[in-house]
Amino acid sequence: MNLTENELLEICSLTVKQAVAKGADEAEAYGVSSMESEAAIERNDIMLGKYHQASGLGIRVLKNRALGFSSINRLGRVQIDSAVDAALQIASRGSSDPYNVLPKPSKIPRLSGILDPKAESFSSEETLRHAVDLLEIAKSYDKRVTVDSGGFNTSLYSHAIVNSNGVEGSESGSVFSWFIMGMAIQGEEVSSFDFQFDGSHHMKNIDVRTTANRFSENVVSSLGSKQCEACKGTLILSPEAAIELVLQTLMSSVNSNNIQKGRSKLAGRLGEQIASSGLTITDDATWTEGLAAGGFDREGVPHQPLTVVENGVLRSYLYNTYTAAREGVKSTGHAVGDEESSPRVGTSNVLMQPGNSSLEKLLKEVRRGILVTRFSGNVNPISGDFSGVVKGGHLIVNGEKVHPLKETLIAGNVFELLQNISGISKERQKIFNFYLPYIRAENISVTSG
Amino acid sequence: MRITIDLLQKALQNISQVSYAEARYHHRIRNEITVGNGAVEEAKSTQNEGVGFRVLVNGAWGFASTSDTSLQVMVKTLNDAFGMAKISASAKKTKISGLAEAKLAKGVFRSPVDGSLEDHSLEEKMNLVTEIEASTRKHFDTVKSAACTYRELIDHKLIASSDGAAAEILDSKPEFRITAVASKNSERISASETVGVTGGWNDLFRKDSAEEMSRKAAETAKNLLDAKEPKGERATVILDPGMVGLIAHEAIGHTVEADFVLSGSIVKGKMGTRIASELVTLVDSGYSDIAGGAAGVLLVDDEGVPARKTVVIEKGFLRSYLHNRETAAEFGVAPTGNARAFEYSDEPLIRMRNTYIEPGDYTTEEMIREVKHGYLLKGPRSGQADANGEFMFGAQEAYLIEKGEVKDLLKGVTISGRALDVLKTVDALGRDFAYDIGAGYCGKKQLAKVDGGGPHLRCKALIGGVQ
Repeated sequence: MNLTENELLEICSLTVKQAVAKGADEAEAYGVSSMESEAAIERNDIMLGKYHQASGLGIRVLKNRALGFSSINRLGRVQIDSAVDAALQIASRGSSDPYNVLPKPSKIPRLSGILDPKAESFSSEETLRHAVDLLEIAKSYDKRVTVDSGGFNTSLYSHAIVNSNGVEGSESGSVFSWFIMGMAIQGEEVSSFDFQFDGSHHMKNIDVRTTANRFSENVVSSLGSKQCEACKGTLILSPEAAIELVLQTLMSSVNSNNIQKGRSKLAGRLGEQIASSGLTITDDATWTEGLAAGGFDREGVPHQPLTVVENGVLRSYLYNTYTAAREGVKSTGHAVGDEESSPRVGTSNVLMQPGNSSLEKLLKEVRRGILVTRFSGNVNPISGDFSGVVKGGHLIVNGEKVHPLKETLIAGNVFELLQNISGISKERQKIFNFYLPYIRAENISVTSG
Repeated sequence: MRITIDLLQKALQNISQVSYAEARYHHRIRNEITVGNGAVEEAKSTQNEGVGFRVLVNGAWGFASTSDTSLQVMVKTLNDAFGMAKISASAKKTKISGLAEAKLAKGVFRSPVDGSLEDHSLEEKMNLVTEIEASTRKHFDTVKSAACTYRELIDHKLIASSDGAAAEILDSKPEFRITAVASKNSERISASETVGVTGGWNDLFRKDSAEEMSRKAAETAKNLLDAKEPKGERATVILDPGMVGLIAHEAIGHTVEADFVLSGSIVKGKMGTRIASELVTLVDSGYSDIAGGAAGVLLVDDEGVPARKTVVIEKGFLRSYLHNRETAAEFGVAPTGNARAFEYSDEPLIRMRNTYIEPGDYTTEEMIREVKHGYLLKGPRSGQADANGEFMFGAQEAYLIEKGEVKDLLKGVTISGRALDVLKTVDALGRDFAYDIGAGYCGKKQLAKVDGGGPHLRCKALIGGVQ
C-alpha cells in the first residue's frame, strides 16, 4: 500500500537523525510514495493497462559545507543505512562551498485543492473509460485522424520533507492526466504530428474532449501543406508554441543558477524593460488549477506567488536556498526536483496575463505572416537565438489563413521577439502547469522551399 | 532473499489463464557528478531496483511493478498485471493473436568492459569533473563559464518468461559532457563536447581524453562568439558522423519502428522498394559494429530476444522494420530484438539501439573539394522528426564551403528536410566511421540509451537562417 504522510514523515525524521548521528553537519530527507493506474493507447486502440506503486527517498547531507546526495526506492532499514553512508561518503570527498546551507523552518500553510477527496475510490476501470473516450472523440472528429499513442493516467501521491534545522512538511495530492499524439492520413499524404496533453488535480475538471478535438483539428487542418516564399514577417504563436519558443528560454534566463553561472542574458537587468509593455508573467505554485501546485518547495520552503515580469519590466529571479545564499537574498521557494536528485532551481506554474485583443482580431491585422501551432527546433537558452521548423503552421496573408505550411523554418532571437510583441490575445489556454494567451510578434525570418 | 531467475520463474508459475507472462528484475546504480563554475551542482548516487511483470490476457497487455522482491509481493504484483490486462481487454478492439517465436536468451550476457567503472573510485570521478571544469575556464579570456558532468548507469537484469527466456544481463554505460560558455559584452554562446559509451572507464576516453574535450569545447565557444549568422537556403551539406547518426536515428529510425509503421508512418507499405540513394545502407544493431563502445549496445532485449544486426535499408532498398515479438508476429517475421524498457517500472516498447549508415569510399577532403557552395555541419544538437518524415535538428558548428574549400565558421544552424527526399540526394559517403550521439537519450514515453553514427555524408537539405 501507499505510505501515508505520517509514515513518510517518520521515515524522513529517522533518516535525518541517523545522518546527523553518523557525522553530517546538516541533513535533509525527502520521501515520496505514489500509486498510479494508466490505460495506454497505441495504433488507434487500447494497448495496455498498467498499475504502478512506488516509494522513494532522497537524502541530502552537508559535511564541512560539501554536498552529498543519494537516493533509494526501497525504504527498508538496511537500504536507508547504506544510502546515508553513500551520501556521507560523497560529501566527505566533495569540495567545501560556503553557500551550502539548508533552509530554516517557516510556517507552511496547507494548500487545499490539490487532493480530490474522491480520488481514492477512482478505479482502473474509470481510468480506462477516459482513455477510450479520448481515443473515440479524436477518431470521430474525422476519419483521416490516426492516433499513434495516448493514454490516461490517474495518480495519488504523498510526499514529505524533513531537515535537521527543524523543517517539516508533508502533503498529498491527486493528478489525472492524459495525452494524445498522432497525425492525419489522406492517401499518400501524412500530416504533421500533433501532441496534446492536459491534466487536473480534480476529477470534475477531467476534460478529454477539448484535448481530443484540438488534436484532431490540428492534424486535419495541416493536411495539404505547401511551402511559402521566404520573407520577414509576423508570427502568431499558439500557447503551445509560445511555451516551446519563448517561455522556456525566458524562464531559464530568470533562473538564478543560470544567472550566477553566466548562462543568462537577463543577469543584472532587474527593473529594466525586457519585453513590450503588454507582457506580465507570474510564477505561482499556489494556483491549484496548475499541475505544479503544492504548499512547499523541494526544500520545504513555503510557496508563494512571484511576479517575474510586470508590464514588460523584469521584476524578479527565481531562487532556491543555495542560490539565494550566494546573493544574500531570501529563497523565493523555487527549489524543484524529485527524490532522485538534490534540489535545483526551477519554475512551478507559469501564468501569463491575457491581452485585450481577440485572437480573431490579432489574425485580421496581419499583412503577411505565419500562425504557428507547434515549434520544433532549437533555442539557445543563453543567447536566445532560435531556429526551427513550423509545425501545423498556416500562412496568413491580409488577415486570412491561406494554406497550411510544410518545410518552413523560422529563425530569430527570443529576447528581440519579446521586445517586438505586437499583440496578446484575450483568450488563454491552460496546458498542464502553464496558462497563457496567443502572442503576436513582428519581424521574424522565414525560410522555405 | 536474493533474487534469482529461479525465483522469478517460481513467481510466474502462480498465474494461469494467460497466453504469456514475463518477469524482469532490474537493479540500476546511477551515479552523477556535475560541477559548474567551481561549485558542485550535483554529486549523487541513486539505487533503484524492482520487478516488472507483463502478461498477455485475452489479447491485451497488463503491466505492474514492485520494488519488493519477496515471492509473496511479486505474486500479488503479477495478479495486478493480470487484472489490468483483463480490464484493457474489455475495451481493446483488435486482440493480439500471439507473439512471434524466437530462440530466447538463456545464460549470462556481459557487455564488454575495458576498465570496470566500479574499480574507479567516486573520488577519482569527482576530481576529474572538478579539474576539467576548472581548466575549461582557463583556455581563453572570453570563456569564463563552464559546466562538466560525469554520469554512469550500472545495470543488472534478470529476465524470465513463460516460454523459456532465462537471461542474466550485466551492462554499464558511462557518459561525459563538458560545456563552455563564451561571452563578450552582452553576447553569450555555449559549445559542448560529449561522449557516451557502453563499457568501462577506458572505453569512455578512447577517442579523446577529457582534457582534449575541454580544449575543443572552449575553442568552439570562443570561435562561435565571433561567427556570423548563416543565410537560410536549400544547399549541399556535408554532415559529420554525429549528424549522420542523428539523421539515421531521428529521420529514418523512428519511421521504421514497427509500432509506428502500423499507425501509418511514411514507410508503411514500402517494404522492398527503393527509398534512398543506392549508396545508403542503414543498420540498427544491438552490437557495436564497425567501431567499439557504442552507447546503445543491448545484448538481450527486454523480452529476452538476443541481439542482432538488422539491415533496415540495403543499398537504398527498404529491407526491414524494427520489431518486438508482437509486431513481428503481425508482420510474419522474426523479432529484431528492439523491445526495451528504461527502468523496472517501465513496460518494453519498440526502441532503437545503435543506428548507423555504413561507410563508403570518399575521403572527407574529396567530398569537400567537389562542393561549389555548401556547408560542413558538425556537432549534432537535439533533433526531432515528424510523422511525415520531416526532420529538423541542430548543428553546433556550420562552416561555409566555397569552391571546394572550407571557409568561415558560422553560428549553429538548424537543418531540415523530408527524410526520404534527403536520403535520395546522398551522393557521397566517407570511408571514416564513428558513433557520436551516445551521451544523449532518446525519448518515446520513456528514455532509452541509444547511439548513432556513420561516415561523413553529403546530401542536400534546407538550412534555417536569417533573411
